Amino acid sequence: MRFMLLFSRQGKLRLQKWYTATAERDKKKMVRELMQIVLARKPKMCSFLEWRDLKIVYKRYASLYFCCAIEEQDNELITLEVIHRFVELLDKYFGSVCELDIIFNFEKAYFILDEFLMGGEIQDTSKKSVLKAIEQADLLQEEDESPRSVLEEMGLA
Amino acid sequence: MSDVVEKTLTALPGLLSLDSQPGSNKLSSSSKLGNLIRGITELTSKHEEEKLIQRELTSIKEQVSSPNTSMRQMKELMVRAIYCEMLGYEASFSYIHAIKLAQQGTAREKRVGYLAVSLFLNESHELLLLLVNTVLKDLQSTNLIEVCMALTVVGQIFPKDMIPAILPLVEEKLNHPKEIIRRKAVLALYKFYLIAPNQVQHIHNKFRKALCDKDPGVMTASLHIYLQLIEENPEGYKDLTTSFVTILKQVVGGKLPMDFNYHSVPAPWLQIQLLRILCLLGKNDQSTSEIMYEVLDESLRRAEINHNITYAILFECVKCIYTIHPKSELLEKAAKCIGNFVLSPKINLKYLGLKALTYVVQQDPKLALQHQMTIIECLDHPDLIIKRETLELLFRITNAQNVTVIVDKMLEFLRINKDDYTTIDLRMERKL
Repeated sequence: MRFMLLFSRQGKLRLQKWYTATAERDKKKMVRELMQIVLARKPKMCSFLEWRDLKIVYKRYASLYFCCAIEEQDNELITLEVIHRFVELLDKYFGSVCELDIIFNFEKAYFILDEFLMGGEIQDTSKKSVLKAIEQADLLQEEDESPRSVLEEMGLA
Repeated sequence: MSDVVEKTLTALPGLLSLDSQPGSNKLSSSSKLGNLIRGITELTSKHEEEKLIQRELTSIKEQVSSPNTSMRQMKELMVRAIYCEMLGYEASFSYIHAIKLAQQGTAREKRVGYLAVSLFLNESHELLLLLVNTVLKDLQSTNLIEVCMALTVVGQIFPKDMIPAILPLVEEKLNHPKEIIRRKAVLALYKFYLIAPNQVQHIHNKFRKALCDKDPGVMTASLHIYLQLIEENPEGYKDLTTSFVTILKQVVGGKLPMDFNYHSVPAPWLQIQLLRILCLLGKNDQSTSEIMYEVLDESLRRAEINHNITYAILFECVKCIYTIHPKSELLEKAAKCIGNFVLSPKINLKYLGLKALTYVVQQDPKLALQHQMTIIECLDHPDLIIKRETLELLFRITNAQNVTVIVDKMLEFLRINKDDYTTIDLRMERKL
């Protein structure tokens, strides 16, 4: 995968993850262009389109568009499922996720994304193990007293 | 689990509203990030947004440069900086502080620091070198979460020239008792392979070990590397074909733990990776292809459930069948599959059906002709993407008999849609 974008129906970017080194200016341009194209699509239309030398797979969940750019030889349908899996993970983590959750806790969304889509490749790990890894990291505190016992109890130290 | 949470919560003295609660609780509404976001949403013009963000950035800049800022506050500042950058404003003054945060912060701060680094910097950035020491230190930490964080960052972004410094540490993690660390180590090595293949030449036997790892997650991770290796040199890995076939058999037969099921389909992404690998191995090679016929047949049969993911697997399977040495029964079943896709009312499947037809038309022109009527109908489809795909397909199935009809249809189409289809038109002309 080259990159993943999340943006609202009004064209506000909520999350962007790039898996290849791209210059800032190019990134901005691509994001702008892509948002325009995707937002212009009507609801019943195909979820795949070709843009520049990439394939774009997008899906809308409530007010958020999830948009991925994949290479020529990648399978579009599976990318659609990658998006769906991401949404499922977010939903499980936040409990009935809505756009606001992602907006106000976007760094958590990034953590989840990084855990299951490492370096642009989907890891076919169980949903449970992804969420467990995130929750364990979440439970860490800055105070010295508790982390030791928490980690020990989890068998990680 | 609940009394662990209890314990940690009570240990937190006076939780500041700056920090978010563990788990899924929402960020408290009086946080600075919350205020910033709310502030932006209330604005009506781009100009006002710029002013607000610039003010915000100036304030962040002051605070990050002040010696009195604690790591905890720094964490919060970084999150805001990430947000501003995401909106398109430049906050490069914060990059060095992100690295410092990863270096000096404790676990949660480190996590945000690493995240900020992976979002702000890219491979060629000079500041990235400063990250190396932090990563090296964290890889040797007794706190496994820090090791995980370090491996995650390494798998995303790392300066090529420093790979030799970190390679032995990452290699060592391949033997770690915890599967999550082994998995992340494999992925880090995959990243190294992508950016500097000659640096990881000597550890190919370790990849084999990862392939046979008892944890399916680690095994899946190793497949990414194998796919890459096999793409470059299929001959070198033909001996692994039986292993891959066995793994696929086990997955399709439901031998993996239930956890790996996605909507009652066992480990779909793993299946697809394996299918891709088998496709590359069996191409133009009859004996290797023969090893895989049975499992491909099995995959086709198993994929009965009506879910997108099943179709994705079918698509990949079909592609594989058409690429490797042909076997008539399999081809027949695959052809039927494609037919179902094209005739499907679901628009995404139709698209894939058309794409598949385009792919197989060289080997099996009859198939496309069988569905000629549906294809012609697709030309009138309201969705532009389908139309375009149909044109592409039509161009390929043109032969002496149907060329007039097809060209007529194309010209009619061009008359109505004056878009960028002149390229296809030109190609058509060349053929004639």
